[in-house]
Amino acid sequence: MMAQVLPAARRYGIAVVTVALFGLLAATTDGFLSQANFRNILDQQSALLIAASFATITMIAGGFDISAASVFVVAPLFALQVENATGSAGLALVVGVAVGLVVGVANGLVVTALKVNSFIATLATSFMVFGAGFLISDRSVLRASTDAYPAIARTRWWGITTGAWIAAGVVAVAWILLSRTRFGRHVYAVGGNAEAARLAGVHVARVKTVAFALAGAAAGLAGVVSSSRTLSALPSDDFSFVFGVIAAVVVGGTSIAGGEGAVWRTIAGAFFIALMINGFNLHQVDPIWQRVIQGAVILAAVSIDSWTQRRPT
Amino acid sequence: MKHAEALVSVRNASKRFGATQALEDVSVDFETGRVHGLVGENGAGKSTLCKIVLGVHAPDAGSIWLEDSPLRLLSPAEGAALGLVGVAQELSLLPAMSVVDNVVLGTEEHWGPFVSERANRRRVEALIDEHGLEVPIDARAGSLSVADQQKVEILRALGRRSRLVVLDEPTARLASHEAAELLDTVRRLAERGVAVVYISHFLNEVLSVADTVTVMRDGRIVRTGPARLESHASLVEGMTGRQIGEVFPPKPPAPADDAPVVLRVDGLSSTGAEFADVSLQIRAGEIVGLAGLVGAGRSEVAHAVYGSLAVASGSVEVCGHRLSGSVDDALAKGVSLIPESRRDQGLMARRPVRDNTTLPYLRRFAGRLGIRASREQEAASEACDDVGVRAESMLTPVAALSGGNQQKVLFARAVLGEPQLLIADEPTRGVDVGSKRAIYEALNRMARSGCAVLLVSSELEEVIGTCHRALVMRRGRIVAEHEGGDMTETSLLAAAFGPGDGTARGRSQEPAAAAGEPR
Ligand SMILES: Nc1ncnc2c1ncn2[C@@H]1O[C@H](COP(=O)(O)OP(=O)(O)OP(=O)(O)O)[C@@H](O)[C@H]1O
Ligand SMILES: [Mg+2]
Repeated sequence: MMAQVLPAARRYGIAVVTVALFGLLAATTDGFLSQANFRNILDQQSALLIAASFATITMIAGGFDISAASVFVVAPLFALQVENATGSAGLALVVGVAVGLVVGVANGLVVTALKVNSFIATLATSFMVFGAGFLISDRSVLRASTDAYPAIARTRWWGITTGAWIAAGVVAVAWILLSRTRFGRHVYAVGGNAEAARLAGVHVARVKTVAFALAGAAAGLAGVVSSSRTLSALPSDDFSFVFGVIAAVVVGGTSIAGGEGAVWRTIAGAFFIALMINGFNLHQVDPIWQRVIQGAVILAAVSIDSWTQRRPT
Repeated sequence: MKHAEALVSVRNASKRFGATQALEDVSVDFETGRVHGLVGENGAGKSTLCKIVLGVHAPDAGSIWLEDSPLRLLSPAEGAALGLVGVAQELSLLPAMSVVDNVVLGTEEHWGPFVSERANRRRVEALIDEHGLEVPIDARAGSLSVADQQKVEILRALGRRSRLVVLDEPTARLASHEAAELLDTVRRLAERGVAVVYISHFLNEVLSVADTVTVMRDGRIVRTGPARLESHASLVEGMTGRQIGEVFPPKPPAPADDAPVVLRVDGLSSTGAEFADVSLQIRAGEIVGLAGLVGAGRSEVAHAVYGSLAVASGSVEVCGHRLSGSVDDALAKGVSLIPESRRDQGLMARRPVRDNTTLPYLRRFAGRLGIRASREQEAASEACDDVGVRAESMLTPVAALSGGNQQKVLFARAVLGEPQLLIADEPTRGVDVGSKRAIYEALNRMARSGCAVLLVSSELEEVIGTCHRALVMRRGRIVAEHEGGDMTETSLLAAAFGPGDGTARGRSQEPAAAAGEPR
């Protein structure tokens, strides 16, 4: 009996823990089990889920991309400039995603062709992109000038915002791409053993570049969705978005070393963190303490994960 | 020798991985000053037994004793501190560090916090002199040939004032003369009072070096007894529970003279000094061996043909189509490669058997909604059955398979590809006698169906026993070609060593190795 339960618990550990946390909050916390609260959580998570599901793919391919924060901040600035100039929300959306795609392709080429370590490469591109954000916005807040732009993420279908629907769609695409396609298999192969992948006919550089490009585009979309929710965008050089993304991916159990992981893990990781914060807020825990506890919980989650995977069996 | 006493005793040990019972109620003694041979088919539990002794795995049940006290190791480091060391089946060197650093790793000579480079060097030089295992000690470990890396691993184990040394298939990567030297080293170790556990699929090696032999099958011990009472045949029977007869199945008929030429290599030279002016042809249905010493450039030629190594000049044609020199193109034109090192070049260890088998051929399972999982699964398991992979399921990570079964996964991949040309670089390394035969049969089947086979092998008997024709390489050039009855160990060895090196020792010259075992 234990022989079957243990490996399953290990494999699905993060999902089990997330469901347990849900149960705990449902049982102990007033106001948790309400439609309004769930909608709120979904809305708040949508941008992060969009970026994190494709960041998972990059990480499995053996890359570490921290440029998502800069794209998240800057893509909506470009999008809003376009929207202000043309009045077209659709075009704005396309431009926002395209900005991310361009940055992603650049990251991929620097990493594969120039063989720069991906953390360093994306750190460098981040600074450039943040800089571009100040330039394009002339250092000021940009606001949507039409009703169509806010509608991108704020329209409700069956009670749920389009922002959340977009997130669900993106997650589904990433999930299918990774688990059901040739590209997905190649991603695992490249991250697991690049030389073996090459000898099996996988185009290692191409796969990595595409992974970075998609992650860039996803971060751009995440930025547009987020700015559409808040009706505005502000230039900054704030890295915090990508830390949330990486926390979700890693807490979910995707390996920083590459070759292992899954999109469902990232979703579980993201919701675990989101539920935890939600619980703190409903219990009115001091935000300063929230950070400390949040850090400790992430550390614990990651240690438990590496402990269960490495301990002598 | 008279006073042999148990240094480490295993009592009623069991170990289970998921649904696999890797060890069941195993009891065995490893004695001071003795070489204890351990034989069994792939997956019989040999490595697992040693791993519980070394502290890599904890047994589920049973106990382990060091002399008279119970031993509960939590990590291999604890075992090493007690003088229990192993040379793992898979290499585990730090590729960016020098040979010296690798050998002394963890036991560096130091002066306060400072590492004493000179003392370390002296220690390693002394070790090399003592055991006759020549390696360039300042080279980076990653730049060495696989055989040299193996020697570094062995030196590392020898350098640890060890009381028990486990050698898990130490000669699988060595050339014949190097293996012979290693056997001498093993004997000397035992004479100095070390308990040695020696795992090998080369039964003649075990018979010649071991005092005691334990035969394992399906996680249990079949018997333990003095090596002199065993023979090649009795070991095989004990391991498999049946008689398997000859190791080599009858060769498929040699191709007719008008059989189409599948592979035509013309004047191929590498960009470096690895090989030069290599020309060869293989007909449909022909199995051609590429023999020679480790480092003669055989694997490089294999990679150049496959397109994974750039060449300076020359051409490669498969079935009349010129290859462009990319792996993609080679795969598309029906070339498969089984690379030399399954861990570094072959497998994604943490991915399932299925993914590892189908990776180059995923296009075949394309459906409208991505890969068609059931068809892929079916094809993978068919290919794995074909070569006798023993795995719990197609979704088991490759890392959970025994060494020999991992090798078979690579072979299954090649079978799945139904290639026109199969390049196999040491495809039976670490594979047990019974499965070797299964692999040779699969090779033969492929040849019969018209596939051309290029077999790179350091085992002369394997070349003689399976190939229609053998090419011998020395220092990057093809220096000899032998066919049919002209292929003998003597003729191949002489060509491999070249003129003026009459002192070369092949294991063929040793009495123990004469008994019809591949190498
Ligand atoms: N870490 C692991 N996880 C799951 N199963 C394992 C693991 N290690 C070994 N096994 C299984 O235990 C059995 C015994 O494996 P072991 O490696 O001991 O075989 P072996 O006798 O050394 O074989 P070989 O000659 O191929 O090296 C095999 O069926 C193998 O698949
Ligand atoms: Mg083994």
